[in-house]
Amino acid sequence: MTMSCENRYEILLDKYLDGEINQEDRLELFEHMETCEDCAARLRELKKAVMLVQSSSHISAPDGFTESVMNSLPNQKKRVTWKKWSRQHPFFVAASLFIILMVSSLFSVWNEQAGGDISVQGSRNVAIDEDAGTVTIPEGETVEGDLTVRNAKVEVEGEITGSLTVINGEKYLASAGDVAGDIEEVDQVLEWVWYHTKQIAGDVFPAGRESKD
Amino acid sequence: MDAVVKRLIKEIKKEGDQDAFAELVDLYKDKVYQIAYRMTGNGYEAQDMAQEAFLRAYANIESYDESRKFSTWLFRITTNLCIDRIRKKKPDYSLDAEIQGTDGLTGYSQLAASQNLPEDQVVTLELQEWVQQEISLLPEKYRAAVILRYIEDLSITEISDVLDLPENTVKTHIHRGREALRKRLGNA
Repeated sequence: MTMSCENRYEILLDKYLDGEINQEDRLELFEHMETCEDCAARLRELKKAVMLVQSSSHISAPDGFTESVMNSLPNQKKRVTWKKWSRQHPFFVAASLFIILMVSSLFSVWNEQAGGDISVQGSRNVAIDEDAGTVTIPEGETVEGDLTVRNAKVEVEGEITGSLTVINGEKYLASAGDVAGDIEEVDQVLEWVWYHTKQIAGDVFPAGRESKD
Repeated sequence: MDAVVKRLIKEIKKEGDQDAFAELVDLYKDKVYQIAYRMTGNGYEAQDMAQEAFLRAYANIESYDESRKFSTWLFRITTNLCIDRIRKKKPDYSLDAEIQGTDGLTGYSQLAASQNLPEDQVVTLELQEWVQQEISLLPEKYRAAVILRYIEDLSITEISDVLDLPENTVKTHIHRGREALRKRLGNA
């Protein structure tokens, strides 16, 4: 066997083992091996080596491998859990979003009104003094129904048949003055919010309000 | 399987979903561990390399191109890590070394016995240990090609993708690895 012959059949053997040999070369190779014991032995040995590697048992990852990998991951579990939770409880997400929007809109309304102009709801039978910041129900006057005053000091010398609500101000009740209903003062934002909530509740459940009255 | 993998990867990419990633690890852990074990030749390094491969896959999931096979990408990370480890230092452990805290237990005894092979193909445990040792003696480039070809049963084209080498280079590596193994195993 010459060197060139060896190279030639080595290449053919590799092609044969790679499954890439054509019919012609295959016939040539096997014809050659009829007479060349070296090449025949070589093919046997290669096949045996490949068989041994192929049949070496397939091993599995050790127990607890996945847990071990997961424990080494950067910790993002909380974020994921929250996302999953929010996907499973859309109602809570919607409800809390609603509350946030409600509160923030109430705050903005409060901020607009705080320190703003004097406003009076309920009656025209009152004297408003913008410079002094007072609202006076003059003696002898009668306010029919409820009266709500914002951003002012209220002096009651006359009569109110309903309730008086003072938002962001003070009330002064003269001895002659009389308020038939409740007197309510609202100064803090939270109180104001509570007041509004009660209003809304009263609107939503009028029966409850009547019985309270 | 492919559809499942695609869905899992989408979830991991979208929100770093770790539950989806755990499923992915479960699907591929045996193959990745097998490559790492055959490359490094011992259980400790195999566990280390396989785990590191998954952690890198998670960290770099954005760079995975979904038009290509996920296993190819994952195997590339694994083989690169193993080849780097082999080149940087000679392995800490040898299969012949006793495992700490065990009585005379060597790395060989961690090899499971062949299952479901026809009788004439059942290879004894000693023979398997010897085969693994001979694989471990191959230069790492040939070793990777031979493992992917004959143990993971990948095509030349897939191996060329995994190792990022031209197909002809892959073939040459397989031929040389095969030839080296023939000399050591062929006349058993």
